[in-house]
Amino acid sequence: MNQNLTLLQSAIEAGKRKDAVALTRSLLDEGMAPLDVVEQALVPGMSVIGEKFKRNEVFVPEMLIAARAMKECMVLLEPLLVAAGVKPKHTAVIGTVQGDLHDIGKNLVAMMLKGANFAVHDLGTNVPTEKFVEAAREHGAELVCLSALLTTTMPAMREAVGVIRAAALPKVKILVGGAPITQEFCNEIGADGYSPDAASAVDKAKEVLSA
Amino acid sequence: MNGYERYFATLDGGTPDHPARTPILMRWAAEHIGQAYGAFVSDHRVLVEANLRCARDLGIDQVSAISDPLRETAGFGGKVAIHPQTGASCEEPPLAAALDLALLQRPDPASSLRMRDRVEAVRLFKAKVGGEYSILGWVEGPLAEAADLRRMDNLFMDLFDGDEEVAALLDVCTDVAIDFARAQVEAGADTIGVGDAAASQISADLYEEWVWPREKRLVEAIHAMGARVKLHICGNITHLLPGIARLGLDVLDVDHLVDLATVRAAVGPKVALAGNVDPVKGVMQARPDAIRTAVAACRERAAGPFLVNAGCEIPAGTPLENLRAFCQPL
Repeated sequence: MNQNLTLLQSAIEAGKRKDAVALTRSLLDEGMAPLDVVEQALVPGMSVIGEKFKRNEVFVPEMLIAARAMKECMVLLEPLLVAAGVKPKHTAVIGTVQGDLHDIGKNLVAMMLKGANFAVHDLGTNVPTEKFVEAAREHGAELVCLSALLTTTMPAMREAVGVIRAAALPKVKILVGGAPITQEFCNEIGADGYSPDAASAVDKAKEVLSA
Repeated sequence: MNGYERYFATLDGGTPDHPARTPILMRWAAEHIGQAYGAFVSDHRVLVEANLRCARDLGIDQVSAISDPLRETAGFGGKVAIHPQTGASCEEPPLAAALDLALLQRPDPASSLRMRDRVEAVRLFKAKVGGEYSILGWVEGPLAEAADLRRMDNLFMDLFDGDEEVAALLDVCTDVAIDFARAQVEAGADTIGVGDAAASQISADLYEEWVWPREKRLVEAIHAMGARVKLHICGNITHLLPGIARLGLDVLDVDHLVDLATVRAAVGPKVALAGNVDPVKGVMQARPDAIRTAVAACRERAAGPFLVNAGCEIPAGTPLENLRAFCQPL
């Protein structure tokens, strides 16, 4: 394996953004295809840090600096991917439900999905329910991800699931998550999947999309 | 025993007639008296009335000035909006775009509107029920307040970038917490709650380097004022327990993700442990008999000084009969 790919993966895991960007440049200068850089260094790096997060070996700050490093590499890579006609495998819409202003978990999930070659349309926080439907329709999304941190905004998540279900979007799957959310609540409100943390969200997204 | 006596018997190694009940009530308390949460966070008279009604209706042993995390943020110059149903919010934290302390005002508990309102709540508690109930004041811990000012994601990355400015931010947040605590102690608070919610999301190494020294300074300052200290960190703090055990706390709130027996082993026999029934599954959604069983199990796991509490705030919408069961004397 190319030594710079290994170093880039390590830089992503450690959140060393300047090193990561320099290594990405080097790899592109060497003639490596941008999709190979993403799939052979960035995605594995984020996967390793995500697995460590699941095992409580690292915490949110380590996830954030890894995601920041990847994001800065993607600034270089995305235009090249577009120019090369590389298309994302799936399209997702993500947001924090109405009444809830928290976004760290949602941002981490968005970054993990991007790393797994999803096109992600981030609607932000405090998103009115109808916006999820409009955005899913506009972007042809197959996945809508709903986040809530507060117990008081869980009813808004229930409402959002109901409105998305009532819309004519038969192929859309709904993924939910956030501190007070449980698998039981997911089942109760009729969502397709629940992820307890950002690192698990990609696996769950792929699972519900293949169901 | 009245609530004050029961609470201090627990903290001072005495024998309370039954464990004191100290649930965190904010939105629920407002609902209980038919008031909007926005009024609860912005008018100390509403907060006091709600706490007193809850204490009397449910047999709670402590009244509290806790309402929302943005009192100090408003004092620092953050634009805090009050919404009738969702309470206080600050959509553009003053340091979100740049870590520049010159953008902040220096909060003064005597003149900052939102901070003064909390001090007035404590003063009114003291006048109405001093000596009858324990009175809990509240401040944001250094990491939580810095996160409110800078945004949590920015702050967490700042910790890795190691800028001197982030140390200065955490220091000024600690200084302001001490000033705010002093104003509340002088107004009549016997205990100051320190909410440092963000800390559960960082590693033990980052906690020891950036947060612990400042929390320690805050705890020692409050003790020097003659008040007790309770620390509340939402989430799983198991990995932080070695540091927390060295803070010299009187009360440690324990969220439901943490095993009380593990906490007891870490902090020793003197610290009162408050918790830790799951607020949603264990209180809001449970049956009253299951709630009673859960509270008793917590007391057993705490194996020492114990205060009845859920892992965090009692959610709005929790049935009254559930909270009655939660507060029924053990």
